[in-house]
Amino acid sequence: MDEFIIRQATANDVPFLVETIIEAEKSGTDRLTYSTVFGLTLEESRKYIAEMLYEEIDGCELSVSSFLVAEKNGETAAALSAWIEGSEGIPSTSLKGNLLNFILPKKCIERAMKINSVISDLHIEYYPGTIQIGAGYVAKEFRGNNLLGILTARIIERLSETNRGVSQIYTQIFDCNTPSIRTNEKLNFKVVMLKESSNEEIINYLPSNKKILMKKELSTL
Amino acid sequence: MDRTEITAKLTGIFRKVFHDNSLVIADAMTANDVERWDSLSHMILITEIEKAFSVRFRLKELNKMRNIGEMKDLISSKL
Repeated sequence: MDEFIIRQATANDVPFLVETIIEAEKSGTDRLTYSTVFGLTLEESRKYIAEMLYEEIDGCELSVSSFLVAEKNGETAAALSAWIEGSEGIPSTSLKGNLLNFILPKKCIERAMKINSVISDLHIEYYPGTIQIGAGYVAKEFRGNNLLGILTARIIERLSETNRGVSQIYTQIFDCNTPSIRTNEKLNFKVVMLKESSNEEIINYLPSNKKILMKKELSTL
Repeated sequence: MDRTEITAKLTGIFRKVFHDNSLVIADAMTANDVERWDSLSHMILITEIEKAFSVRFRLKELNKMRNIGEMKDLISSKL
């Protein structure tokens, strides 16, 4: 572990953050919502996610400032995002929705309109004033170093130091994402909600029809 | 278009986006007050508002909106 440097992500990390978001969205499956919902190719998805990150809007899962990265010998190995929900009074879902509206072509939004009622079945609220853990990813060649565990602990430490009074940490994960669930269980996260959709269509768009909410109290870190 | 007319038009958009014909909007309401108001619904909401009122918002303007009251203010400033 000594060889890894943990640091705040910068705009130079955007290509790696794009891969992080894509892999986290897929949750170990081949279903990428940017493709299934918006009809984008993988390359188009990369392009638009990068454009949204370059806007440098803070406080949501598409914010460069939400990410910490681990690097070794100048090579980025892993990344993880987290933010304080609604710290400026604006929900992170609104910030992300604004970015999607601003960056994506209108034809993508028209397509999503037809699908939204199906996938919104799995919406779980982000509670204001809590730490929300978002996308995480470790490049294949660096797996087996507990980098997601290390990044999670470090990102919680960083956010709790600068936001006194925040005591609850949440993360939303598709139930098929076993590695992430195990990592969080090792850090004392507990499952506090399971949301399941009975609409069979949902599996055409999302990695699973089940999403879980995991929570931990800051004192149990 | 006055604020009452904006409210009436917005209510129709909200009811359409959230598939709820009984939805009543209030100035203090936020995404946390409406079930299923996630990022995708928000994106669709903004797109429908821009279409219905024939306006285009800048990203900075959108990211200052804290509630529906401020949404109405922003729409009003564009008309």
